[in-house]
Amino acid sequence: MRSLVIILSVAVGLFAGIMILALYKGMMQGRIKTVIYAEAGHLQIHDSNFKKDYEPIFIIKDGDKKVAALKKYASIKALATRTITMGMLSTTTGSAGVQINGIQPNEERFVSQLNQKIKIGQGFNSKKHNQVFIGMKLAKKMKLNVGNKLVLTFTDTGSNMVAAAFRIAAVFESDNAPLDERNVYVLQGDLNEILGIGTQFHEIAIILKQDELLATTQEKMNKQFPDLLIENWENISPETYLMVETVNVTSYIIMCIILFALAFGIINTMLMAVLERTKEMGMMMALGMNKFKMFTLVLLETFFLTIAGMPVGLFASWLVINYYSIHGLNWERMGKELMSSFGFGTTIYPAYPTEKIVMTIVFVFITAILSCIYPAIKALQLNPVDSLRK
Amino acid sequence: MNTVIDAHNISKIYNKQSIPIYAVNNVHLHIERGEFTALVGPSGSGKTTLLNLIGGLDTPDEGTISINGTEITALTPNQLIEFRLQNIGFVFQSFNLIPVLTAKENVEFIMQLQGLDKQMRAERIKNLFKQIGLEEKLDSRPSQLSGGQQQRVAVARALASKPQFVLADEPTANLDSKSAANLLDIMTLLNKEENMTFIFSTHDPRVIERARRVITLVDGKIASDTAQVNTNT
Repeated sequence: MRSLVIILSVAVGLFAGIMILALYKGMMQGRIKTVIYAEAGHLQIHDSNFKKDYEPIFIIKDGDKKVAALKKYASIKALATRTITMGMLSTTTGSAGVQINGIQPNEERFVSQLNQKIKIGQGFNSKKHNQVFIGMKLAKKMKLNVGNKLVLTFTDTGSNMVAAAFRIAAVFESDNAPLDERNVYVLQGDLNEILGIGTQFHEIAIILKQDELLATTQEKMNKQFPDLLIENWENISPETYLMVETVNVTSYIIMCIILFALAFGIINTMLMAVLERTKEMGMMMALGMNKFKMFTLVLLETFFLTIAGMPVGLFASWLVINYYSIHGLNWERMGKELMSSFGFGTTIYPAYPTEKIVMTIVFVFITAILSCIYPAIKALQLNPVDSLRK
Repeated sequence: MNTVIDAHNISKIYNKQSIPIYAVNNVHLHIERGEFTALVGPSGSGKTTLLNLIGGLDTPDEGTISINGTEITALTPNQLIEFRLQNIGFVFQSFNLIPVLTAKENVEFIMQLQGLDKQMRAERIKNLFKQIGLEEKLDSRPSQLSGGQQQRVAVARALASKPQFVLADEPTANLDSKSAANLLDIMTLLNKEENMTFIFSTHDPRVIERARRVITLVDGKIASDTAQVNTNT
């Protein structure tokens, strides 16, 4: 029974540790996936001055030629050109600062999958002008719905204030509520006409065929377009990169807390094991078992019980993670708003933290061995005469 | 005959700081090889304490003890453990077999501590279990054995290390008459055939009857030390 308690402690400790790592890994993978495939893309290209003030004058020069050159890259899966300007959204009930994105829906569906995020409405109608997509959070805040009119005010390339009325064609909702609140989408043609930039644009968002191709592709682009600002998702969304790093550290801290609890479980059980077997150990010492061997006995017992518990913990975590990596863990009821305010989806797909398994096993082993030192010292302090009397 | 145990003026004093209690008081004791000795006396007379002292489980506050010429009172704790392992066999009142090990493993355990190789261990186990008449119970756990059988395994364990002598603390106290007689038969036979020295602490008249020397302790002192002729031995 006692052995079973230690085996289960190790198994549960390992299971909990791996589950925490898997959840965090799944969350971060989901977040990165959202950043790349629904927000920023793998790479973005801008005029080197554009991002300083988002002035519409800083268009990508000879954009069409550059797009044509980029389409020859074998590593690029899809790209979308965007016209971007900062402006003010106004309605009769209020106003809000927004980033106005002029997009081409046919390109955008392969880059930010905007069409899949539409919750209300049908999308852009190619026969109509001045249509706009707004985010769910902004729609709720401004009490807007599909079919309502709003006014977008911004400056054109000549720094003149311009304004135009747009009708809401759709309300979208992504996993990133703050992003939904500050972005609106209009047709690129409509925006370009008001800005007076013809068919030019400010941004090229790129999706690669594989995440692993990012560094080499960026390097190649830097060489080919030295006058442009080429950023990857880590540069574009530094908060996500920071979050990944922070969560990484947090996961280690949580694992340490779990191991700390595990240590107390092992200390308690092994101490019980020593105290319950006082007579037995006293007899062994009386017969001639020296202190080193007695110490090793307690150490080895813990070692083997840990060995026995590990496969159970590893297998159980693998099983659970495998299931939820397919079916997902739905957190919608727990806090949809909280999750989306940090840019996370409500369904987390835990990912087995393969790269951290060895380290986790080593940590559990070290914890188990360190935890049995105190009980082992207690065993050494036993006096055979007193022990045999009990 | 040669001296196995030579204890000079040994005393064990408890409660030294306030009112000293002499568990063993200035005892002189010589045990020769091949003796079959019983330490008798009322409860609290110091039998077990004296056994613990000559067995190196406890250290005297006064006096010296030599086993086979080695003064064990001068040994360090670690040297004493090693000395016990190589020279002294113990049989305890409540058997004290390791419950998770089989009878064979309980006996083998002490030989493993001694570092004997597998073949030698197997050979010795075979002989010992033949001597105690439990060849069929090699793989039984203590819980599957009767009290008498467990104590016989304990005797085999005590002899497994080929000790200079065996100390037995009330070995028959937890046994019925038949088992006690059987155990004493085995011990007597080992004493006779292998010249093994046995020292018992006991209240049991059946053991006293078999002993060839009876030392009576009263209040930690030897009150009498008599040799007796025994037809059973």
